Amino acid sequence: MATRDPLDFDVGVEEDEDGAPSPSSPLSYFERDRHVAFFGMLYDLMPYHYQSQEINRLTLAFFTISGLHLLKALDRVDKDRVASWVLSFRAHPINQAELKNGQFYGFHGSRMSQFPPDENGVSVCNAGHLASTYCALAILKTVGFNILTIDKESILISMRNLQQPDGSFMPVHLGAETDLRFVYCAAAICFMLEDWSGMDREKTKDYILNCQSYDGGFGLMPGLESHGGGTYCAVASLRLMGYIEDDLLSKNATSSIINVPLLLDWCMQRQAIDGGFQGRANKSSDTCYAFWVGAVLRILGGYKFIDKIALRGFLLTCQSEFGGFSKYPRELPDLYHSYYGCTAFSLLEEPGLNPLCAELGMTDLAALGIL
Amino acid sequence: MESSEDDGEEPLSRIAEWRDVTPLPQDDGPNPVVPIAYKEKFRETILQKKKKEFRKTMNYFRTIYKADERSPRSLRLTRRVIHLNPGNYTVWHFRRFLLEALNSDLDDELDFVQRIANSNSKNYQLWHHRRWVVERLGTNARAKELHLIKSILSLDAKNYYARSHRQWVLQAVGGWEDELDYCRQLLEEYIFNNSAWNQRYFVETRSPFLGGLTAMRASEVRYSVEAILSIPNNECPWRYLLGLYKDDIESLVNNREVSSECLKVINTKNEYILALKMLLDLLCYGFQPCQEFGDAVVAPWTSDAHPLDPDLATTICDILEHVDSLRASYWIWRKNKLPVC
Repeated sequence: MATRDPLDFDVGVEEDEDGAPSPSSPLSYFERDRHVAFFGMLYDLMPYHYQSQEINRLTLAFFTISGLHLLKALDRVDKDRVASWVLSFRAHPINQAELKNGQFYGFHGSRMSQFPPDENGVSVCNAGHLASTYCALAILKTVGFNILTIDKESILISMRNLQQPDGSFMPVHLGAETDLRFVYCAAAICFMLEDWSGMDREKTKDYILNCQSYDGGFGLMPGLESHGGGTYCAVASLRLMGYIEDDLLSKNATSSIINVPLLLDWCMQRQAIDGGFQGRANKSSDTCYAFWVGAVLRILGGYKFIDKIALRGFLLTCQSEFGGFSKYPRELPDLYHSYYGCTAFSLLEEPGLNPLCAELGMTDLAALGIL
Repeated sequence: MESSEDDGEEPLSRIAEWRDVTPLPQDDGPNPVVPIAYKEKFRETILQKKKKEFRKTMNYFRTIYKADERSPRSLRLTRRVIHLNPGNYTVWHFRRFLLEALNSDLDDELDFVQRIANSNSKNYQLWHHRRWVVERLGTNARAKELHLIKSILSLDAKNYYARSHRQWVLQAVGGWEDELDYCRQLLEEYIFNNSAWNQRYFVETRSPFLGGLTAMRASEVRYSVEAILSIPNNECPWRYLLGLYKDDIESLVNNREVSSECLKVINTKNEYILALKMLLDLLCYGFQPCQEFGDAVVAPWTSDAHPLDPDLATTICDILEHVDSLRASYWIWRKNKLPVC
């Protein structure tokens, strides 16, 4: 069992070293209680198979906690304890001058990259990461912590250090790939902190638009093949930034900064004959794209066009008798696909689940009356 | 050059050169959430020993990282850590630091990264590190890079990471000359490979050796049409064909070859859904069909039980609602929006 960053799409499932038995025939309905048990088990203790994911510990926490919240089982979580734990990953500058030193004063993803402060109380080897920061803020909101009370200024000022000349974002100052995943993280962070000073929005928008492919979808970088995950990052970012309206398709907008008809057609074609969604043309259906592509359709106002019965049927073949969801039918579940399987069922308005905020990929707190 | 003597099997605590180091344990703090069950207790099998060693190795790494020790043994340690945990970006970053500080052989580094890639080809940090190395080696590394990516793609033709790297290499250090031919080979092997179609478009639009999309359009239309006629229900060449006319829809509408190919496929009465879709798009863009099109579209459907709308676009939407029933709601919506796309 292996999992990745929330935005590490298209990963292969690593084989269990001890071999894996195949689950039996699919269950015919959404098994909420089994999923609660699955996420609850991982919340308490993660199997050693996840040790290679230590560097992304906050991401693992996001999936488990937000998963429990979607399932209306957040009572299993000690909210104060979680908030303290998440806040302890914050990278702190000594002073204002440090904010321009190139580093990002967001949240670390793990103690592995976080070291105790030296004798002057300075945190050394800072490696604040955009994806970890997104996860941190999402977890804090989920457990009811008011994120507007944290020192958001240092996050936003130092986030600018990560933006590249072409508008993309590097996730960590140490040097890493730059692509739409981190544009999305940056946009989601600004949105949650209600402050867009963390980025040059025009440049960000231009980078996103350069990622739209000839077939209407978006690649993760300009020139790359259209991809369900890349398309989600592009469309959700533009929506969060306010460059596209909600429910575009119902508004008969005659122009938009993106080619909406082509995008819509591309998304619609991603539903395959088995009812599931594929991430790219002519690839197999995979649980998580029911969210990545489904959420794009929801944002555009086109979710109503999909065949929900067929999708539900596919997702149930990926539902595990052990709780959780697998990438492909009748395989073992992993945390990443379990989370996105639940978000997909929330999009399908499955009873017993919280409503989903498609743009943030978590429970719609506003719809629940929680701001 | 790094010593190959450290094969990662011997625990660091038993290696002489590490005797002066106290491993820095990771302090999870009070009440950690999602604690990971590192196996440190219980009777140790080989597997359990390896997992215990993982954590200990990471603790050694944390010590030298915090101390910023730029030494050959640090470099060897990063190799060991990367083998154990190739997803850890901190280690890769530190390794780059060390490679520069120690003025290491970067050709050897490419070989090291390749060995890691053999079992971890879907790892962002690995590919980023490779780009860093290639940037420093420049055009000398070009042939080796393109060859490596080819071998990875021969095992997994749609590996997104490898494809992203290939596009980067072409743009950074060149090698465009044979790329179109490579795309052709990939598509001969598997015409459904959307990654290869995308790469073809990438080359057409960005290669400094071709004339750009407009200049290449005629030959590319012929290429797409051949692919369509061989397998009409393959989405890729249809989208590619449309893509050739990006920002120039008028030329698409006026190209009789495209509309007549749609007609050919529709007339086969077999695998014609995508041809109907294309014809619908053409009509929305202003294509004026002759009677032959109307006859071909309605031929399988004409009966008293299924009266068809006199408007061809509406008829096509009605047909698609039935033959592409997975997207029935979408076709009904498209019909209601006509004549707009």
